[in-house]
Amino acid sequence: MSKAAQHTSDTDAILATANTLRWEIGDNIHDTLVESIYTDAQRIASRSVTEPDSKPKFSMDRQLDRLITSRWFGFPLMFLMLAVVFWLTVEGANVPSAMIASFLVDTVHPWLRAAFSSLGSPWWFTGLMVDGVWLAMAWVISVMLPPMAIFFPLFTLLEDFGYLPRVAFNMDSLFRRAGAHGKQSLSMVMGFGCNAAGVVATRIIDSPRERLIAIITNNFSLCNGRWPTQILIASIFFGALVPSHLAGLITAGAVVTVAMLGIFFTLAVSWGLSNTVLKGEASAFSLELPPYRPPQLWQTLYTSLIDRTAIVLWRAIIFAAPAGAVIWLVSNIHIGQLSLAEHFIAASDPFGILLGLNGVILLAYIIAIPANEIVIPTVLMLTVLSAKLAGVGDGAGVMFELDDASGVADVLRAGGWTMLTGLNLMLFSLLHNPCSTTIYTIYKETKSVKWTAVASVLPVIMGLVICFLVAQVYRLLA
Amino acid sequence: MIDPGKALILFGIITAVLALFFLPKYGLTDRWKRASRGMQRVLIEDALKHIFDCEYKNIHCTTESIAGTLLIPTDQSAELLTRLATMGLLSTNDNGVHLTADGRSYALRVIRVHRLWERYLADETSVPPTEWHASAELAEHTLTPAETEALAAQIGNPHFDPHGDPIPTPTGEIPPKQGRSLLSLSGGEFAVVTHIEDEPETVFAQLTAQGLYVGMQVMMIERSNERVRFAANGEEIVLAPLLANNLTVAPITEEEPRITAPLSPLSSLSVGDEARVLSISKAMRGHQRRRLMDLGVVPGTVIRAEMKSASGDPTAYNIRGALVALRRQHAEMIFIQKQ
Repeated sequence: MSKAAQHTSDTDAILATANTLRWEIGDNIHDTLVESIYTDAQRIASRSVTEPDSKPKFSMDRQLDRLITSRWFGFPLMFLMLAVVFWLTVEGANVPSAMIASFLVDTVHPWLRAAFSSLGSPWWFTGLMVDGVWLAMAWVISVMLPPMAIFFPLFTLLEDFGYLPRVAFNMDSLFRRAGAHGKQSLSMVMGFGCNAAGVVATRIIDSPRERLIAIITNNFSLCNGRWPTQILIASIFFGALVPSHLAGLITAGAVVTVAMLGIFFTLAVSWGLSNTVLKGEASAFSLELPPYRPPQLWQTLYTSLIDRTAIVLWRAIIFAAPAGAVIWLVSNIHIGQLSLAEHFIAASDPFGILLGLNGVILLAYIIAIPANEIVIPTVLMLTVLSAKLAGVGDGAGVMFELDDASGVADVLRAGGWTMLTGLNLMLFSLLHNPCSTTIYTIYKETKSVKWTAVASVLPVIMGLVICFLVAQVYRLLA
Repeated sequence: MIDPGKALILFGIITAVLALFFLPKYGLTDRWKRASRGMQRVLIEDALKHIFDCEYKNIHCTTESIAGTLLIPTDQSAELLTRLATMGLLSTNDNGVHLTADGRSYALRVIRVHRLWERYLADETSVPPTEWHASAELAEHTLTPAETEALAAQIGNPHFDPHGDPIPTPTGEIPPKQGRSLLSLSGGEFAVVTHIEDEPETVFAQLTAQGLYVGMQVMMIERSNERVRFAANGEEIVLAPLLANNLTVAPITEEEPRITAPLSPLSSLSVGDEARVLSISKAMRGHQRRRLMDLGVVPGTVIRAEMKSASGDPTAYNIRGALVALRRQHAEMIFIQKQ
């Protein structure tokens, strides 16, 4: 027998033995391996590592844990913490928001116009760049930056301290029933600040199915860009129904109801997804509760401030600026007597009315996909444009906002708004596609066109259906 | 503007039409998918699978048994057998029908896909056990050989499906049938469950509902013509002999500890107490099992229950110095020895 042939027959024999053995090894091989690795590691560790006898710090952690996860104090403590964070964000953001807006919109905007025209720029270029691009950026920065700069550092402090994993621990049974992970409570709350940040925050969920659920449903958390819209519309259409000393309460109640409705949809859609399209994804649960640590106050404040500012500016330039250009263009390019915007509004108005909305709102939501913050200024500008109101606003394509809610209310009523329009705008503001920053983030996180499409289209369909149903029921009853 | 009442009615009609097409399980799309199983190639593959199964289990296979399994009339079943014979996949002699070498290899390819798919569903998805078989029945006719091998590589070339059946190798090797029926055990005899028959579906659903799974230790208590009483992991179960016959068992090794009392699960540990891990139930699979082992939950690990969540579930355990929260449903599948 030649050497080569000998070699082949040996290999064959080995392979044959291996093939018979593979059935005898069974399925335990992985378990046995892991077990033996741990046994070895333990043996080595027991020989070379000495442990101190007492662990005083550990027991203090347990004392704190007992309070935070207690049956009686756990949830009230959590709601109190969240309420404080939201209150600080909303109250604290008001003043800097107004200051930034007055600087960028009231001071810089006219100055820029003057500068452009003195340099001999044609009117359309000034309009496009100053009224369109600059204003959109200015709005996004003034609405978004202050709340982001307050909300996220507070959140990071709670996380560094070790409190947030305990929130997930307490909330898990609610999310388990919806087929989701307790940590989704954290990405959901992050979503109240910014959905793009909420989607990134789902990285803490390490099981594929639960992470996808958290990503797709994050948009149901009302983000900072949508709070001002909700508050304004609620105060015009609900706060105005009651005597003025109750108006604030009713307005707040209406906005909180919409936010709660968002949480309800988060859980309901999570449940639906986990029982249908996401059955095919793997599911697992474990939640590490790290020891408590004193948070690094100044470092956290500094890094979050820089990070958030960078995100907001990046978003304003990449996404909001082109939207501003589009808004200016559609209001200033004319076909025949009317601008593109007016053509679209006239054409889509019957459909909008059927949904209890109107053509202006539909157009505003399409061109404001990049940034929810500019919906109200866009709505106001388009209403003035399409209803041909005189003496309000700054002209076609120039977004504006009014200082007092009653001024806004007059414009909207003149545009044909009713109580139903206000209600449905609030619902649609909760249930529509995520802003383009969030859509882009979802794609980056999932690397899947399919799930990005689901996350973008599902809320719009829900919004359209729910607005439609509300409108019909409202009209039947009214 | 459309009258709101009419609009609602129109909406109702549109919803109903969409539901008619896309409702899971009952919708037309899903019905059509199931109906496409009646196609010729599918019938051929199912018939080959059935005949292989008969030969593997040493049962006599007839035109009627094929008709029964494939849910087709007997004359169509006879026609199908003729067709298989002309294709060279089947030979007939006095003892009935037999697979040729080609037929056998074809059947094994289909079975390989079926069992790999079941294993994939069990380990890598959250599809419940009762749906594995039906889903594999569809997948076995649609996956291409390349997709099959990619799937096998992705899930680590497993050797057994979740019901304990061996998965044929790509070259068509499969070990001879091993083990015997649970009914063959005598009183007081210990064994381990190696296989749970997954057909018919209702029987499998009943067995899983009893908490039975492959890898469980069983001990026969008593057996009569009406009922079979046995302990599974120390817990007494009573089954009709017809049901119990769907469980295949194998003898356990000498060193394997005999389970005589019900095992206590980790979920029964009170806060503040410690226990040593005995084993992780085989019913815990895939990601969840790997996660626990990565955390260091292996036989011998000492675990201490530290606290319960404000809502009562999950519970946080001290595992090798780290505080890890586990849900009750998972803690129920970790067996412990209290200290």
